[in-house]
Amino acid sequence: MVEYLIIPVIKLIVMFSVFLFIAAYTTYMERKFLGHMQMRYGPMRVGFHGLLQPIADGIKNFFKEDVIPENADKAVFVLAPAISIAAAIILLSVIPFGPPIKILGREINLYLANPSIGILFILGFSTLGSYGNILGGWSSGNKYGYMGGLRASAMIISYEISMAFAVVSIIMVTGSFSIVDMVNAQTGLWNVFKQPVAFLVFLISGVAELNRTPFDMPEAESELCCGYNVEYSSMKFALFFLAEYIHMIVFASLVATLFLGGWHGPAFVPGVVWFFLKMFAVIFLCIWVRATFPRLRYDKVMKLEWKFLLPVALLNILATGMVMAVL
Amino acid sequence: MEQALILICGIIAIVTAVMVILSRNTVHSAMWMVGNCFIIAVLFLLLHFQFIAILQVIVYAGAIMMFIIYAIMLLNLRRADDSADPLKNLFNGRYLLVGLLFIGIVILGVGFGPMALKGSMTDQAMMKLGEVELLANYIFADGLLPFELVSVLLTAAIVGAVYLAKKN
Repeated sequence: MVEYLIIPVIKLIVMFSVFLFIAAYTTYMERKFLGHMQMRYGPMRVGFHGLLQPIADGIKNFFKEDVIPENADKAVFVLAPAISIAAAIILLSVIPFGPPIKILGREINLYLANPSIGILFILGFSTLGSYGNILGGWSSGNKYGYMGGLRASAMIISYEISMAFAVVSIIMVTGSFSIVDMVNAQTGLWNVFKQPVAFLVFLISGVAELNRTPFDMPEAESELCCGYNVEYSSMKFALFFLAEYIHMIVFASLVATLFLGGWHGPAFVPGVVWFFLKMFAVIFLCIWVRATFPRLRYDKVMKLEWKFLLPVALLNILATGMVMAVL
Repeated sequence: MEQALILICGIIAIVTAVMVILSRNTVHSAMWMVGNCFIIAVLFLLLHFQFIAILQVIVYAGAIMMFIIYAIMLLNLRRADDSADPLKNLFNGRYLLVGLLFIGIVILGVGFGPMALKGSMTDQAMMKLGEVELLANYIFADGLLPFELVSVLLTAAIVGAVYLAKKN
């Protein structure tokens, strides 16, 4: 009873609130960092240095009028943000964010589930989440939304491949699909040193899958107004927005667990702290990239994937296999 | 409990599959098909095949349906015209023939069902060796030749498709 019901429910509530809080404040972090990188302040008015800004944004979104366009496909229009947010939140359940700890004499694992196919679970459901973007763009009955949805599906089809191949080389090194096993295998040497090429491929295609700035084809403001979410308002827009930030957190934790050793680090601070430090470092990298690089042209984005990242990822798998066969 | 869940999932799978052909809107059809792929993954999960279930989600619900939706959106198909109404054509002779063939295959499958239960993918073997390892042994040791033949066939199909597309 305690083992199968009460502890998972407590974990669920804690993880859900903590990660939603982090997602809300990641938006603040992004605006603040972007502001300072562009020689301005970012949010300053609400609370001390704008600290209450995410809460104000949330309240504003709640009270906005919820508009459904006349020629929208109503059922799909309402369903799309739900798909997006559900597929994003479910990913958090398999991420291990710390070593087992002892509370009240009980060993508590700091993850909700450790399926033997953990990493495949993440690959599968991150693809399902992008159905939200595609269907949202399609159902709006708006040509910009439509183009955004079309581009979103093209992006997912192409960049998912190189991302999966980068993960395959990590699976080869670890010999397991379980994310916890992958962290445990990095006790001595982090995977980023064993698989530097896979790390770079994973990082680039991950940023592309998140639809962030050098690759934000589905929501390029200057070409498509706002892309797939152009007709969305109020909480429906907020759900898309939140899903995007939760995807970013999941991506950052994946980079931390697969390549940067997860919760491993010098023992003077607990493993959880190391995990969150690494996660925020990757989030900061994403924001930094956004502040630095201009948006690529659409055909160049496709060329980068099919003519560069995919062959490199494939060659990396071949090389890993050869090295493993020789050793 | 498990039997009841399998029955419920089976009914949902049939309903979603029927909705695929009954929807007038092509994107709705594609969405029902995503749902169908997903519920079949749940069925695999109920049979204790975690790995195959997640492959079903990645390959079918994820990749292949994404391609189909991409193609539908690229061609901008919204609604089928009335002449293609599947409900009106349901009792057409050709469809009836296909339907009978399908029912025959189902009867054959159910009839030979108990034989398939004697394979090597049992719960005990999966617990002992791990599901993925068992499947890998099955494909890459016992069934290597058919596996390679299938891959050659698929490559030939891709080359053929590229050739046909190039001609236009």
